[in-house]
Amino acid sequence: MDLDELAFQLNNYVGEEGTSFDAVLNEDGILEVICSNNDEFPIHMTTTDTQILAVTRLFDVSEVVVGSVNELNEIFLLMSPAVPLSSIGRQGNAYILFGAMALGTRFEVIAHELEVQAENTIDVLEAVEELLT
Amino acid sequence: MSVLKDIITALRGGANEVGESIVDANAVRILEQEVRDAEIAIAKAKGSLTKMKATEIQLKREVGSLNLDISDYEQKTIQAIESGKEALAIEVAQKIAELEVERDDKQSEQQALDSEIQKINNLIRSREKRIQKNKRELDKVKTVTELQRATESISTNVAATGSSDHRVSQALERVKKKQQNWQDQMEAGEWMQDENTGDSLDAKLAAEGIGGTGGGANAVLERLRAKQGA
Repeated sequence: MDLDELAFQLNNYVGEEGTSFDAVLNEDGILEVICSNNDEFPIHMTTTDTQILAVTRLFDVSEVVVGSVNELNEIFLLMSPAVPLSSIGRQGNAYILFGAMALGTRFEVIAHELEVQAENTIDVLEAVEELLT
Repeated sequence: MSVLKDIITALRGGANEVGESIVDANAVRILEQEVRDAEIAIAKAKGSLTKMKATEIQLKREVGSLNLDISDYEQKTIQAIESGKEALAIEVAQKIAELEVERDDKQSEQQALDSEIQKINNLIRSREKRIQKNKRELDKVKTVTELQRATESISTNVAATGSSDHRVSQALERVKKKQQNWQDQMEAGEWMQDENTGDSLDAKLAAEGIGGTGGGANAVLERLRAKQGA
């Protein structure tokens, strides 16, 4: 499924838990998706030859309390396996939450992953809120 | 050559500016060229293989046919010997000898060809393995590049990529408030539904004269009369 088709299907879908989506393809060819269960942190989607990638930008390293970066990294390493379907990582100076799915993944599964990733964003940020400025 | 090691080296070297490639472009070009070369080599090899296989099948058939002829002539030689026709038997035996030489030649040729075919098959398999490995390496590069693009893509939601104080805390608060509102609305909706269900049920019961608080004016009069009478 290409990003155009995915956008169309997301915009016309309501999940089992009542989640709806706003999906817009931006100028860079990146699909920006906002889930109704978390409209503050959009998910950016793109594809490779084999995968669909979904990235949520959490915060910049400059937003971490001075001297707490190591502690934050440690917490994230320990937390990541417990977060369902999503992984925590860093891209440049940005901490991200991301999910990867095979290109042929069924639409309902993609929608569910996005729903969970949006929910995970809240949980992960709450867990480390004290270490952020 | 592992692309992951190169990626980490590049990242450690500070290759995280917007637009700056994470992996050495040359390395990617080499990988892609290796894939192309291997694909061309495989296509050529498969073409040769088809021709060689056709020849091998033909040789096998000819060997089979010669073996049948030899067998046939051997029978006839025995018959000639048994009926005392020595001269004829010798002639047929010579024929058999010629056929055997021809058969042995073709058999050697067929075996050599078979061995060559095996070699080419092995070559194709190892090239295909190489292609798959290179494609996986290239996909890792593509993944990292796409991840970078997706992360740095400017969001239409300014709050998501701003850098004000307490940005994350404030965003979390807003999200939780909205979730709470939604939750409250859900509960209100359920309560309303309960009420409606309850109302209609009470109405049904009242219509059947079941339950209710007293019997209205008549019930009051009855009660007062009973009191007076008592």
